[in-house]
Amino acid sequence: MEVDFALIGHQESWRAAADVLAVLRGPAHTPLPEEEIKDILPWIPPRAVCHVEVRSITGARARGLYIDSFIPPDRLEAAYVHENITRVRLAAAYASNAKAKIVSLGGFSSILIEGNFDQLPERRDSLFTTGNTLTVGFIVQGIQKMCLLAGRELRRSTLLIVGATGDVGSGCARCLAPTVRRVLLNARNVERLRRLGAELAAEGIGVEIATNLERFSTAADVVICAASLASPSLLLNRIAPEAIVCDAGYPKNLSASAEMPGARVFFGGLGQVTGGMRFAPDFRGILNRHPFPDVVQGCLLEAMALALEGRFEPFSQGRGFITPEKVDEIRTIAARHGIYLAPLYNGAGPLEDDLDCPMDCGRTVAG
Amino acid sequence: MTEMSKSQCRNDGVPCSGGVIESLIRPGCTATERESLSPSAPIWQDVLAQAVTGELLAAMNYTSLSEICDDPAEIADALEHAEGERGHATAFAAEGRKIGVEVIDNVNARHWKRLREVFLGCIAERDFVGCLVVQEIMLESFAVASYARVAMEAPGSLGKTFARIAAEEEEHVDHAMAILRAERALDPQHFDDKVHRLHLDVMTTLAKMLAKECKDGHCEVCHESCVKPSLSEVSLSAAELRGASLRQYLKTLDALGLPGEVTLGWVAQLPV
Repeated sequence: MEVDFALIGHQESWRAAADVLAVLRGPAHTPLPEEEIKDILPWIPPRAVCHVEVRSITGARARGLYIDSFIPPDRLEAAYVHENITRVRLAAAYASNAKAKIVSLGGFSSILIEGNFDQLPERRDSLFTTGNTLTVGFIVQGIQKMCLLAGRELRRSTLLIVGATGDVGSGCARCLAPTVRRVLLNARNVERLRRLGAELAAEGIGVEIATNLERFSTAADVVICAASLASPSLLLNRIAPEAIVCDAGYPKNLSASAEMPGARVFFGGLGQVTGGMRFAPDFRGILNRHPFPDVVQGCLLEAMALALEGRFEPFSQGRGFITPEKVDEIRTIAARHGIYLAPLYNGAGPLEDDLDCPMDCGRTVAG
Repeated sequence: MTEMSKSQCRNDGVPCSGGVIESLIRPGCTATERESLSPSAPIWQDVLAQAVTGELLAAMNYTSLSEICDDPAEIADALEHAEGERGHATAFAAEGRKIGVEVIDNVNARHWKRLREVFLGCIAERDFVGCLVVQEIMLESFAVASYARVAMEAPGSLGKTFARIAAEEEEHVDHAMAILRAERALDPQHFDDKVHRLHLDVMTTLAKMLAKECKDGHCEVCHESCVKPSLSEVSLSAAELRGASLRQYLKTLDALGLPGEVTLGWVAQLPV
């Protein structure tokens, strides 16, 4: 079978991993208890889990593989970085052996590799993209849509980006900073923060940087959480009432115990394939655990969009190279094939039912 | 009496359920040797008993294989392998004597017997490829991975012997891989169906052997109670031996060219 694209991912929780194994075991076998799954999963070598077919609204189709690196959900911390890079490299080699033409690196896979593309296997058959440009596109579009729904003017807003120096965070900063009143950049690496802050300030944008969220002079009313956290552990205790908060992490950034009364939280960076998708075996709702059909992370959708377009190129590589122009380009490609911003939702369910959404506001291609 | 670990049994010098501890010390062992017997010796005794039994079974399998070969070179090769496996069994038994324990073997123990029956089924059908799949892909994956894991924890020459034999078994697998890859190239679907059929028998049995608990009762190889709960005393566990073995098996199937998403499903369906 010709493999147009491959998607490299991992499960963000033991619950998600259990569901994947339950499908693999099939209905004739009882699901494994979580303790057994914790014993088994770390030993599974990276490999394809299922075939994926994606359909464009133009009628084009692309076929691919979902490859799981089987990084155990409790081993996403820095202590396991070498083990996890090895897993991603093996998953990448698997994709290359399958002769996938374009390969997306989902979740932590891209975080591990974005600064180390030279560690990927050297095969001319497969090209790799982090997929981060389309993720940024959907985060930006989600913020714009949420502001529209909430009757908020983005240009009057103070935008806080947590994880601002990462590939996704810096891409969001470059796209949104010119459209807001002030930008607060937060990350762990102060040198990178200074560089990004200086870059934006040179454009005449009001910027503050801080490694500690408490240090900012003002409270943000629009927040993007794009930090690479091993588990949902972020507490945002200094944001404006009724702030719009986009949790764009995978795994999610926001702690379940984060108290943000009045905040409008949504999960960002997600797109929906309106032409439809098919998994074999049927992993619908298992690999893409969202309340709407055919919703997938933007980073994975980037490879699908490029495959549907027949543009097999390393669209997103390295860290810090995402520009508004590149974001517009990939969103235009995606939209041409019916891949749009997914309906907004959060842990409590869909958000747009309660809000008056202008027709097709999520499908506007322009930024 | 509450269940106690194998090392507790030995140190306390009290009867264990189903026997007495002296049964694990080799006849002729001197008093000094008994005193210096490591608390973990009874654990290694059972680990070695499984290894010796597996090696003897492999020797029997290669001898049987030689009987369905037509080519004199293949016959000689199979008999040489059989001899090599007997040598491994002898080496493991010698390691047992070094730590003062008698290593028993039991190729008629329920799980090993079942594995032998599957192999003999292939022999009856003169299915040379089936024999290689059972012995080289399934049983050797189990041996290579578990020996290598044991070698990391076993002390002194015991560890070195496990490491050496793991490496030698891996060479066997390499030899068979070339034959099996060529066979698969002729008719991949037919080949994969055969592997799956054998997987259901052989790997289900191996999975039961590697399960954290022996749900079918005593394995008939451990000298007393099941060794698995005591493995943590020598920094091993049944779960990691199973994990390492199944990982090796999946990698071997990958190297043969079987689709990874298919073999993942096979392994996911094994008993735990």
